[in-house]
Amino acid sequence: MTVEKKGWRTRTLKLWLPLGFFMIFNLFPFYWMTITSLKPNSELYSRKIMPLVVYHPTLKHFVDLLTETSFLTWTYNTMLVALVSTAISLIFGVMLAYPLARMRFAGAALISFAVAATYLVPQPLLFIPLADIINRLGLGDTLTSVILTYPTLLVPFCAWLLMGYFKSVPHELEDAARIDGATRLQTMFRVFLPLCTPGFISAGIFAFTLAQNEFLYALIFLTKTDVRTVPVGAIAELVRGDVFYWGQLMAAALLGSIPVAIIYSFFVEHYVAGLTSGGVKA
Amino acid sequence: MANIMRAASRRDVLKIAGLGGAGALLGANAGRAATKNLTFMHESSFIQTYDDFFKKTLVPEYQKATGIAVDYQLISVGSLQTRMATAAETGNGPDMTLAFFNWPFLFDEKLADVSDIADGIGKKNGGWYDSAKEAVVVNGKWKAIPFGNVGQTMNWRSDWFAEVGVKDFPDTWDAFLEAGTKLKKAGHPFGLELGHGFGDNHGWLYPLLWSFGGREVEPDGKTIVIDSDETARAVDYCRNLFHAAILEDCLGWTDVNNNKAWMSEQISCTNNAESILWFAKKQFPDIAEVTQQSLNPQGPKGRFHILAPWSHAIYNFSPNQQASKDFLVWLMDPKQIERWYASADSYYAPYLHAYDDAPLWHVEPRNLPYRDSLKTSHLPGWPAPIGRAQAEAVAKYVVVDMFAKACTGKSTKEVIADAAAQLKQIYKPG
Amino acid sequence: MASAHTEALQRPALRPRPAFSLRRWTEREGVFSWLMVIPPALFLVALVGYPFVYGIWLSLEDRPVARAGVFIGLGNFITDLHDPVFWQVARNTFVYTFAATALKMVGGLALALVMNQEFRFKNLIRAVMLLPFIVPTVLSTIAWMWILDPSFSVVNWFLIRWGIANPGPSWLGNPSLAMFSLIMVNTWRGLPFYAITLLAGLQTISPELYEAATIDGASTFARFRYVTLPLLKPVIFIVTMFSVIFTFSDFQLVYVLTRGGPANATHLFATYAFDVAMSGGQFGLGASIALSMLPPLALLIAGMAWYMRGEKS
Repeated sequence: MTVEKKGWRTRTLKLWLPLGFFMIFNLFPFYWMTITSLKPNSELYSRKIMPLVVYHPTLKHFVDLLTETSFLTWTYNTMLVALVSTAISLIFGVMLAYPLARMRFAGAALISFAVAATYLVPQPLLFIPLADIINRLGLGDTLTSVILTYPTLLVPFCAWLLMGYFKSVPHELEDAARIDGATRLQTMFRVFLPLCTPGFISAGIFAFTLAQNEFLYALIFLTKTDVRTVPVGAIAELVRGDVFYWGQLMAAALLGSIPVAIIYSFFVEHYVAGLTSGGVKA
Repeated sequence: MANIMRAASRRDVLKIAGLGGAGALLGANAGRAATKNLTFMHESSFIQTYDDFFKKTLVPEYQKATGIAVDYQLISVGSLQTRMATAAETGNGPDMTLAFFNWPFLFDEKLADVSDIADGIGKKNGGWYDSAKEAVVVNGKWKAIPFGNVGQTMNWRSDWFAEVGVKDFPDTWDAFLEAGTKLKKAGHPFGLELGHGFGDNHGWLYPLLWSFGGREVEPDGKTIVIDSDETARAVDYCRNLFHAAILEDCLGWTDVNNNKAWMSEQISCTNNAESILWFAKKQFPDIAEVTQQSLNPQGPKGRFHILAPWSHAIYNFSPNQQASKDFLVWLMDPKQIERWYASADSYYAPYLHAYDDAPLWHVEPRNLPYRDSLKTSHLPGWPAPIGRAQAEAVAKYVVVDMFAKACTGKSTKEVIADAAAQLKQIYKPG
Repeated sequence: MASAHTEALQRPALRPRPAFSLRRWTEREGVFSWLMVIPPALFLVALVGYPFVYGIWLSLEDRPVARAGVFIGLGNFITDLHDPVFWQVARNTFVYTFAATALKMVGGLALALVMNQEFRFKNLIRAVMLLPFIVPTVLSTIAWMWILDPSFSVVNWFLIRWGIANPGPSWLGNPSLAMFSLIMVNTWRGLPFYAITLLAGLQTISPELYEAATIDGASTFARFRYVTLPLLKPVIFIVTMFSVIFTFSDFQLVYVLTRGGPANATHLFATYAFDVAMSGGQFGLGASIALSMLPPLALLIAGMAWYMRGEKS
């Protein structure tokens, strides 16, 4: 949609006003998180002062979070789990998407449907039987349990996204490579996949976000502090009995999301491009 | 800072504990079947010093005395039931574990019978409180040794109560309502939870029901008697109290909210464990000075409190059951347990009469109601026997929602009928 | 070039080849495809298919925790059908899903349209807009706990200051407001996902179409209605489908904010199943509640797919 040059009034109406509205709506809770993490307890609990202002900011909550809790361990665990499960999901996603998008074979429709159906089965349905399976495999309280189960949530989406993306790549380069005598595998690895980097970035970012955000499986499978991820670690450790350590919780929220957001700002162009060429085409 | 034990499995932990215990071999029995290590699973305590005391003082003492290394495994708050379930389901886990509420029943098939040591401990220490047995005796057998009660009593602001002319805490529900009405008008409403928490809602709603003479089920565990005049009176009272004295937000509260509300001076009275006073003393001394704790008010049929029992159980898949029993006997000996209780101030109220006048109760006289409430405490579902229906009724918040719905406008008749229908379904035989 | 290659292909092999070559077999389209597809398919069968079937089996059993299960056929489902809380949970979940999805769709589209324009710091703002989606839901929900507390909520603060209401609405205590608040929090969290995906869709629409429409005399609104919307429909469908699945099975928000209260006003299928299974120790009954999610969800998706099929020109 092109912006008509009818002057700043229209631009304000069409752009700045709505943008401002959305920015406030989206970011207000983050402002809240920031000031809560910087407020000393005496200010935090006081109802008399304007809640939106910090009078005596303190870094105590951040310091306590980093030194007295296992926050860094949780962050390490979360990143590790998210990276590995994203990698697994991308690999499996490619293995599903490439044949379904580029080849014809008997049973393609069945596989397609099965993958889609997998997505329909929601997490709360699976956690009870999965808990049983994980326990029987002796994987309770290990990062393996979540690394193994997260891809079940991520693979279908990655497959769908990559399928859409793969479909839009022209066949010529592959055909040329095959004529040159390359095997299908070589064609896939050396010719096709390198072309699809935006699609990978797209799917990878989405998968990574979902993985580091996951809560239910982590809650059930990870009960010891050393193996917990940030979402469950923060809830379990920064809540003692019935007392919430609000300042530290909000510090954890910020420290858990700002770095990821910064990484995103570098990739968001690719993310949009990946979606554009891929799944969003009719 | 925490050790990064990546992908640590239970077996790894046992191995490490084993290596740690190797040094104790010097004095230990050389018998091949002798136990060298025991694992003891506990939930992270609200009070840090309590966990520290066990790890740093009791464990070395036991090692010195018997050569056995006890591995104190801490589970994050809220995850204990999950971990207990995991261990029970897979037949693989710690030797001993902390248990809460009626979990000795839920896991009874996987827990060892500890009736023998329970009798001994009781005799040595002035006898068990009857209420303690409610949570651990299943089919006549003791499946866990009661440890401590994290009771719930009324916390109230003596300064604000005094301002409206109430010097002592109201003794009856009617006086309570009167005080509450005045306080809400003065801008200091009551903050009694009516939402989906576990302690602060049950802590006053079940006692309210019982003190009016209402009950869910008869002791036979089959006859649903919630539909009674007594219940109706309790429900009506609750509705009146809600409109006259309670903060509307309490309908959506979980256990966390009243602590927050107390520190931000929003409410004048709530039902809670010792956590509010403890936290206030550390962070808000001014508020702590005017925070008082008292027993629940009484109704026409008596005064009641909720039982919140913590107990220790032994898994029957453990190869070290006898050693575990010996450990528990040692632990519950006054020489050890009294110090452990004291390290948590009086957060865990002992279930043995020998401690009724122990020094730990004299550190903070305001905590005495937590001791006095033991006599009149019962599990949710009382007087029905411990069982799965009890657990299901609590998980589905039958009683809590009955009161809450009345407060949101439903008629007393309707909410009681709903609760009765739910209970009939839950307590259905077979 | 081409002729040299084709010559090479036509030249007969110099060495005698075995009758069956593994390599040639794997090169066949069908075989290659299946070899590729089998590992992930097996993975999904093992970790989704098997638990799913096991879950169905559990729902047909009376299965208390740490005890053996007893087959009872449809007993759990009959219990659920007679459970008033179950029906309330069903109602809640539908209301929650419909309202939040509608808000996210409209809001997401609006935000996408706005962000589709050119302005400075476009990339930075796009990344920043994604923050609600990036931050761990559990933690942002805790922030909302505070924001929705009548004593600390900015809205209440202003309402009290301006003398409109005192103490101001109870966002999580009043049963209707509680559901409303939860819908708002879910919308807040999910809007970026909609916006970013719709934005990508908007960018595939070639500007020539708009120019052609303008030349034909179409107004801004008409352009939107006859060019933008129809071309976006497939994207909207896909995003909505994922969003409905996520929202219908939502757990975190409710678990943190209200645990289903006040008086079950915000209990959803996922949270109810969790309470019954984990706190109540009834795995069979919990599984039956969770399984009840599937038919409505499948119907919803099927309905949407059928609607889309009708729309395809």
